[in-house]
Amino acid sequence: MKKFLVPICLFLATIAYSQDDLLNSLDSTQVEQNYSTATFKALQLVTLQTTKMPAKKEFYFVVSHRFGTVKDGFDSFFGLDNATTKLGGIYGVTDWLSVSLSRHTLNKMYETGVKYRMTRQDDHFPVDIVGHTVADINTFLEKEQYPGLEFKHRMTYVQQLLISRKFSDKLSFELVPSFVHRNLYNPDLENDNQFSFGGGGRYKITKRLSLNLEYVHNFDKPDFYKNPLSVGLDVETGGHVFQLIFTNSQSMSESGYLTNASGDWGKGDFFFGFNLYRVF
Amino acid sequence: MKKSFINLFAVLLIITVTTNGSAQKLITKTGNIKFQASMPTYEDVSAENKSVSAILEQSTGDFAALVLIKGFRFKTALMEEHFNENYMESEKFSKATLKGKISDLDVSKITNTSKNFTLKGDLTIHGKTKPVTLLVKVSKAANGVNINGSFEVKPEDFDIEIPNLVRKKIADKVKIEYNFSLIK
Repeated sequence: MKKFLVPICLFLATIAYSQDDLLNSLDSTQVEQNYSTATFKALQLVTLQTTKMPAKKEFYFVVSHRFGTVKDGFDSFFGLDNATTKLGGIYGVTDWLSVSLSRHTLNKMYETGVKYRMTRQDDHFPVDIVGHTVADINTFLEKEQYPGLEFKHRMTYVQQLLISRKFSDKLSFELVPSFVHRNLYNPDLENDNQFSFGGGGRYKITKRLSLNLEYVHNFDKPDFYKNPLSVGLDVETGGHVFQLIFTNSQSMSESGYLTNASGDWGKGDFFFGFNLYRVF
Repeated sequence: MKKSFINLFAVLLIITVTTNGSAQKLITKTGNIKFQASMPTYEDVSAENKSVSAILEQSTGDFAALVLIKGFRFKTALMEEHFNENYMESEKFSKATLKGKISDLDVSKITNTSKNFTLKGDLTIHGKTKPVTLLVKVSKAANGVNINGSFEVKPEDFDIEIPNLVRKKIADKVKIEYNFSLIK
């Protein structure tokens, strides 16, 4: 008897409120494909990529700066005299695939990248998983310095998995295992292959402001480099996203960021910078 | 576990029976809602949803419509994202609803030329409910009736915040057009 109690109550309730009953009957007919959207505001968390992808045919223009170390104080106006720049574009081929190209001041680097979505977070699956494959071309190296230099020595490759979960409309986290391979390296000092594991998150302070934090632990780095730790603030203004950044890793290329963090937060040795995105 | 499953089944069965039990109801799941919030000379701010559900109880004129906010399609994906995340907060308020009564509706007297009726009811957007009185046009269609019309809403009436930075680009009054072909 007890098991029929609930349905009977419901039956009586539906008779009692005819308009609500109409609305409820609509509720039960709706099928909702409920992907989590807007897990992050921008394509980058701070310097690491996020699982956000451009939509099909969307073009993102990106300008980023990392200034010199803040430690120098007024000598270099807290690093602003020593700016490095990244100029680039990202294009959404389809909703799940994007390609990017950028030029970096640091090491006169060209960076090409592909991002591809493998899964999306929804009612049935807990995380977004996006692959990120990068090839860097270092055009700073010169024949005079390295007589045996061939084109392949300029190449550095990065493979990353970006795994994110939106926990609430304010809080999202991401895990980033990465593998970096350099064709040119100094075997006395460093490894040609470096594994690292990173993580980060964002917390929305208001609808259009979010605070971001990321940390990467590099298992194979030489002692004189640090692990990158960065903090950022996203400011969204309609078609732009503006990210203010403090980091101990000056490089904006994926490989440089993960393996060559030279700053030390403990000694006040860190870099100020920003990313500016414009969507077309 | 098994018990609750039986319960659920019973509930579903009863809902099915109570909603389809009488042939008095006309239903659509592919209703259309468009809204237009553009300002002249600024970017086009408009969107369309083609999977709106609506139901009409012929005998009483009771009417209800439900739309999922995430189902609105914009020309640009970014605008759609901001619409959901910053304006409508669709993760918190996933749907907008209208329920009310069309007065003096006698479906048997409806013809192919549309006739105006008054709908009084409650409009819920962004979790906020307001009483509304709308002019609806009803006409006869194959196997049912067609209901369409338009009305304007102010975002501020539904606590939808528009920041100063984009204030000039978004209309004070948003025009909403709807079209439902309800069938048996």
